[in-house]
Amino acid sequence: MDFFAQLPALPVVVPFVAAPMALLMPPGRIPWLWAVLVSWVSFGLSLLLLEQVWVNGPVTYAMGGWAAPLGIIYYIDLANALVLSLVTGIAAVVFPYAYNSVRDEINHGQTPGFYTALLLCLAGLIGVTMTGDAFNVFVFLEVSSLATYTLVAMGAGRDRRALTAAFNYLVMGTIGATFFVIGIGLLYQATGTLNMLDLHERLAGQDNRLVKAAFAFIITGLGLKLAMLPLHLWLPPAYTYAPSAITAFLAATATKVAVYIMLRFLFTVFGFDFPFLKVALDFFLVLGIAGMFIASLAAVFQDDVKMLLAYSSVAQIGYMLLGISLGTVDGVAASLIHVVNHAFIKAALFMAVGIVVLRLGSHQLRAFQGLATRMPWTSWGIVVAGLSLVGVPATVGFVSKFALLSAVFAKGGTMEIIAGFLILASSLLAVIYMMRVIKVMLQPVPTDGPFAGPVAAPPLTMRLMLWIMVGVNIYFGLQAQPVIAIAQKAAATLLGVDSGEAF
Amino acid sequence: MSVNSLLAFLDNPGIILTLGAFLTVLAPVALRRPIMLGVVAFSAFRLWGMEIGDSLAFTLFDLEIMPVQYDVLSRLFLVVFHIAAGLNVIYSWMVKDRSECFAALAYPAAAMGGVLAGDWITLFIWWELAALTSVFLVWAPQTRESYLSGLRYMSIQIASGVILLGGIVLVFREQDSLAIGTLSLRDGGGNFNIAALMLFIALGIKSAFPMLHNWVQDAYPKATIGGTIILSVFTTKLAVYMFARVFVGTPELIWIGAIMTIFPIFFALIENDLRKVLTYSINNQVGFMIVGIGFGTAASVNGAVGYAFGNIIFESLLFMSVGAAMYRTGTSKATELGGLYRTMPITLFFCLIGALSISAFPGFAGFVTKGLILDGAAEAHNLIIWLILLFASAGVLEHAGIKIPYFTFFAHDSGKRPKEAPLPMLIAMGIAAFLSVVIGLYPQPLFALLPHQAHIVDYNPFTAYHFVEQLQLLLFAVLAFALLIKFKLYPPEVPSTNLDVDWFYRIPGRAVLFAIIGFVVAAWRVVWGGLQKLVGSIVERTHRTHGPEGALARSWPVGFMALWTAVVLGAALIVLFLNQ
Repeated sequence: MDFFAQLPALPVVVPFVAAPMALLMPPGRIPWLWAVLVSWVSFGLSLLLLEQVWVNGPVTYAMGGWAAPLGIIYYIDLANALVLSLVTGIAAVVFPYAYNSVRDEINHGQTPGFYTALLLCLAGLIGVTMTGDAFNVFVFLEVSSLATYTLVAMGAGRDRRALTAAFNYLVMGTIGATFFVIGIGLLYQATGTLNMLDLHERLAGQDNRLVKAAFAFIITGLGLKLAMLPLHLWLPPAYTYAPSAITAFLAATATKVAVYIMLRFLFTVFGFDFPFLKVALDFFLVLGIAGMFIASLAAVFQDDVKMLLAYSSVAQIGYMLLGISLGTVDGVAASLIHVVNHAFIKAALFMAVGIVVLRLGSHQLRAFQGLATRMPWTSWGIVVAGLSLVGVPATVGFVSKFALLSAVFAKGGTMEIIAGFLILASSLLAVIYMMRVIKVMLQPVPTDGPFAGPVAAPPLTMRLMLWIMVGVNIYFGLQAQPVIAIAQKAAATLLGVDSGEAF
Repeated sequence: MSVNSLLAFLDNPGIILTLGAFLTVLAPVALRRPIMLGVVAFSAFRLWGMEIGDSLAFTLFDLEIMPVQYDVLSRLFLVVFHIAAGLNVIYSWMVKDRSECFAALAYPAAAMGGVLAGDWITLFIWWELAALTSVFLVWAPQTRESYLSGLRYMSIQIASGVILLGGIVLVFREQDSLAIGTLSLRDGGGNFNIAALMLFIALGIKSAFPMLHNWVQDAYPKATIGGTIILSVFTTKLAVYMFARVFVGTPELIWIGAIMTIFPIFFALIENDLRKVLTYSINNQVGFMIVGIGFGTAASVNGAVGYAFGNIIFESLLFMSVGAAMYRTGTSKATELGGLYRTMPITLFFCLIGALSISAFPGFAGFVTKGLILDGAAEAHNLIIWLILLFASAGVLEHAGIKIPYFTFFAHDSGKRPKEAPLPMLIAMGIAAFLSVVIGLYPQPLFALLPHQAHIVDYNPFTAYHFVEQLQLLLFAVLAFALLIKFKLYPPEVPSTNLDVDWFYRIPGRAVLFAIIGFVVAAWRVVWGGLQKLVGSIVERTHRTHGPEGALARSWPVGFMALWTAVVLGAALIVLFLNQ
């Protein structure tokens, strides 16, 4: 059997098979090592796949040899190869980081279960990204979501509020998934197929109520999954009370995968033949801008750093929606660039916060007082990643903002020009909330209160992984060309579906 | 990047001083100031070795980036920035505070990096760095007041940077190049070019255009003694330099600059804090430069940048002398100073030289270049501007030339008998005073630095016309001041800014002048107070809705979230169905 012929299946299969095996291992270090190994293998496979797609164009793989449209096929073009590499890459950095944090926050006996859920979550996210079958998307989305609810709930060891957060997330996530599956059911009724490419062909010309309802259900369901305002309410508590490593992983991957799948449905499955796509895009423009401001303002007033960063994530989703709403290659590319870059930024920030939680036991802003003296490496990591979030040149955040602004101004309508200025204005809000954190860190170490006293140096692996992520922020800030090139080509492929160029 | 190209990248004043700033922070406390002086000297030495036309460029993702572009215009500003940075290092020799020492090098470094920038991205980076490094000077006194003021200062500076970035993106889209070149504010049809306008506003904020100027008075006097002096030099002059590079000959600048020369005079007259008086004087002085750039003739641009050169030296000198008095007495309020001439005669002497220079007295630094700007107005046959500039020149004399020395060293006797200023301060003031006199008497070296050499070789500032013009003006202004003091009509020193405006109305004979002042002050208070109240209530209201307890940030019960989902789905369905 040729290895490369089977390559598209492996990134999903490897973590899926590995996950239950972790459950059989003794608690402690071994399941962690296993998870790290799996994440590195997946990352390696993803990069191979990305290279293959970049060189040879989209790859199609029929699961179990069943040809489309009957069987489930994996269809990988640059858009999902990019997101796939991002998800596994983040996993490859966050999983090694997780060990000390998990040992501190999770009950020792639960560690095999924890790493099983983590690997399942990873497998689910990878599956969502790779599959070319609409119903299969739902299945994998549920696999990753169920694992996520469990993982968030495991934060209860440190803070009982994790249970409420996980419950809320469960209810909301299930509603979203249900809407999504209703939408897919309606599409099936209309076309009799579940294969995405097939769906696109058979939907052509079907501008009827059934299809419209399906479309509405799907964007609402996915909107909930990607925390589009006003469906974002589950996200801040879930991110805040989840274990540190989980927050870092989820913030960088879960919503990003949802953004990808939204792009896939908007442009690959439906496409510009449907007049209602334009309406949806206008919808996204308004909600994106609203998200940028409402969530940023909420972030400004938070006293809990994880909550602050979580609201900031909702705001950043607004930028991605804004990019999508332009409906141009530049806009979608800018959105994809921000998907990748924001993942780097938030992974670094949440990893840094996790280190603080490990040593000071709190993610309240008060706990950060004097951090620059106590934990200089971690603090400077926060500063650099924070500057990247704000969009300072030589960081990935700048690349995102520049791409987004260029795309917005290239579109050139009045609404878009206004949106461009609003992007700049909302960056100011990011300056404000990050400066709040940085200012507190620069204050002198508190001499009394719960956070006084000496603090041990954080574990080396955590610091190392944090700085790898911070380094990525700088490296891709200076070497932006690869990500931009891939995103441009991916966006062209996504939108090119309409003109029939891609296939 | 090879070692050689890395060295070439590092070898310019912006980078040298930035690295020096870090070196200073790491050095033992006792060595800090000597190292700082050494770094400035080394940077000046490397500047000496640079040739006109030197540049450094590389390509970063298909964009031409040019961190160094050295020409005649940047040379002049780099020279005077080095002088100012060196003087400040000496002046604050006793200050060893880590963040202040850092900012005293890093902030000038950012300004110099900006001056050298050949492309917009490099400029943007230094522009933001200048904002971020200078805020530490405002924060240095570590009071709550200075902290809040620093936050306001930084927000405005960052806002300027954000607008700059927006302008850069638009300019890049239009020209497909990041190189800094001249832009015109209006296109062929007379409409505003939005890209140029954004850059114009960004520069306008930094140079403290009227109504955008308030951050200067808000933040500068709150810094430490040395901090205020450093702040007074760089940000506004960097903006002036950029105007000279990009918007030279833009007619709008003439009027904006003219207004800038006028309006601070009224505020400066009634202000009690002498350091704040000097910050108004910065606005007024920058106004002269802006007017010169607005005329855009070779002579007036020479005058504008030459005036900037002299102004940096004598404005610093005035700040230093008031700072010395403040260092010894702990205050810079006119009401609490006075009569210091008895014990601080040397400081008084230097202060008078600064005062004569800023008033453009013949034989002092201001005189030799101000004529060029006034000639620009006369050449353009713009009588109103010419009159405004003359009036503003008289105003400079009133508030900076006379008020500063008079209320510090003479006026009513405060009873304070402080010691003479410490030696490092005296040395710094002495050098600045020396330079003011030398430039005033022997301006040829300064003229050799000016950008348009062809128009300066046969220029002689010491003509009878200039003498008479300037002396008439000065003598009448002195006479006016003497009469006002004699008849006790000069606005008295009052301890707070809360002047009783009504008072001015009730006294007959002064109604006209003071009605104007009163009106300006009242209008300003209404506008500014209203703005402050508005901002305050907006923040309050957003906190109520977005704060942790607010409706938009509360952890909602799950039913509410589900309701929202239903609302969104319903909205989506309705919109889609209605859209045929």
